[in-house]
Amino acid sequence: MAEAQVTADPFTEAANRLKTLNKVMTSRATIAQSPKEPIWTLNKAKLYRYIPVLPKEKRHPVPLLLVFALMNRPYILDLRPGHSFVEYMVNKGYDLYLLDWGAPGPEDKNLKFDDYTLEYMPRAIRKLKAISGSEEFSLLGWCIGAILTTIYAALRGDDGLRNLILLTAPLDFSNKQGLTFARWVDERYFDIDKVLAAFGNMPGEMLDYGAKALKPVENYVGNYVKLWDNLDDPRMVEAWHAMNTWVTDNVPLAGGAFRQLIVDLYRNDKLMRGELIIRGQRVDLSRIHANLLTVIAEGDHITPSCQSEPIMSKVSSKDRELFRIAGGHIGIMAGSGAAKYTWPHIDGWLAPRSK
Amino acid sequence: MGDEPTQNGKRFDPMEPWRGVRDIYMDAWAKTMVDMVNSEAYAQASGAMLDTYLTVSTPFREAIEKAMLKTLEQLAMPSRADVVSIAERMTNIEMRLDDMDAKLDNVLRLIAPPGASPRMEAARAPQKKKAAKTQQAKSAKRGKK
Repeated sequence: MAEAQVTADPFTEAANRLKTLNKVMTSRATIAQSPKEPIWTLNKAKLYRYIPVLPKEKRHPVPLLLVFALMNRPYILDLRPGHSFVEYMVNKGYDLYLLDWGAPGPEDKNLKFDDYTLEYMPRAIRKLKAISGSEEFSLLGWCIGAILTTIYAALRGDDGLRNLILLTAPLDFSNKQGLTFARWVDERYFDIDKVLAAFGNMPGEMLDYGAKALKPVENYVGNYVKLWDNLDDPRMVEAWHAMNTWVTDNVPLAGGAFRQLIVDLYRNDKLMRGELIIRGQRVDLSRIHANLLTVIAEGDHITPSCQSEPIMSKVSSKDRELFRIAGGHIGIMAGSGAAKYTWPHIDGWLAPRSK
Repeated sequence: MGDEPTQNGKRFDPMEPWRGVRDIYMDAWAKTMVDMVNSEAYAQASGAMLDTYLTVSTPFREAIEKAMLKTLEQLAMPSRADVVSIAERMTNIEMRLDDMDAKLDNVLRLIAPPGASPRMEAARAPQKKKAAKTQQAKSAKRGKK
């Protein structure tokens, strides 16, 4: 017992710290551990159903489909046991599904929002309905996933969509001065034709650089300083390791979708102006009638609140709520406060609307 | 020495004051950098850098692609374009299969007895059948033995 209390000498301590540092910097954390089964696949996309933990009579009858961004892995929603939105919602009795877009290959360079919203999503939702036995469903879209779910909700409003949850949704691009990305991809400086001719799909590393360069010191220096300072705290190290595993797991963005994101949205704000055409159909946001919850992260530097707020006045939903929460783009769903604030609010909003 | 706890229970850390100074410096640095990347000049400079990189690298990339194509032809191996074409055709086949799956689900839903959870059962049916077949095969094997 007495020996256990003796503090290690400085050299052993330093060696242990370096060992931990080496481990977290060079290995992948075990992530996405909630049990799930694939129920549908198309090209690289997969639809997963999470194995329910509650008996059917205790579950909400309306299933929930999670749609994440195209350029990141969706397991941020199920990062690690005890810190997983998926685990939380499954425990709350939701019949939960996740649409994983996968990583596009060279053959997918022409995939556009049109394909994702009118080819992949309707097919995945058909399968979800067949498996769940429910004609109605809820959709949760996060980041670019929120763009896709919004387009889907506007074009397929009669498909049984009851509830729509948009997390940090970049929908309005009118405030050019407030959007750093908009400045970077201005047509005077950024030649999208040249970029896509060279790469086909937008490389994940370049997208990652773009996101990190918004706050370069925090992302390239502060993040590692924080790890160094907390190397003695196993909980902090575990959290950092899991998040770093996700952050460094980059996915390219299909060239066609990237072009639409830059030209139609960042440069011309077509979605909010009602000018976005998807497979010949105009995306009219006033055709969204589903119950709507929009979640805004007040400290979001990737999607500032000015991008997510305006949709509230554009939709026809009678039941709509704007929820603001302190935190960043990812932190509100995967940070330490997510389980205390964001997840309970989503559950509190969704549960009575899923009966 | 350094391991002795202080009055409030924490060990004395000689690096603590340095950390404070470091954090103040990093905050200031972070703000300066955020202002910098938000500027028109940064957008222009980063765009110019990317453009230069693409302009310089494109001839090399194209030359490598041509050489690779020739090599693959000589070796009678499929090129990237061939693989891409096959992948696209596979996706089309998958879509047709998905269409058939949708029709099958509809048929099963229509023939399901009233009261049953139709679609759920329909979707599960193939798995159940397969499991039953496996069970039958196992029993038959045991019988033979």
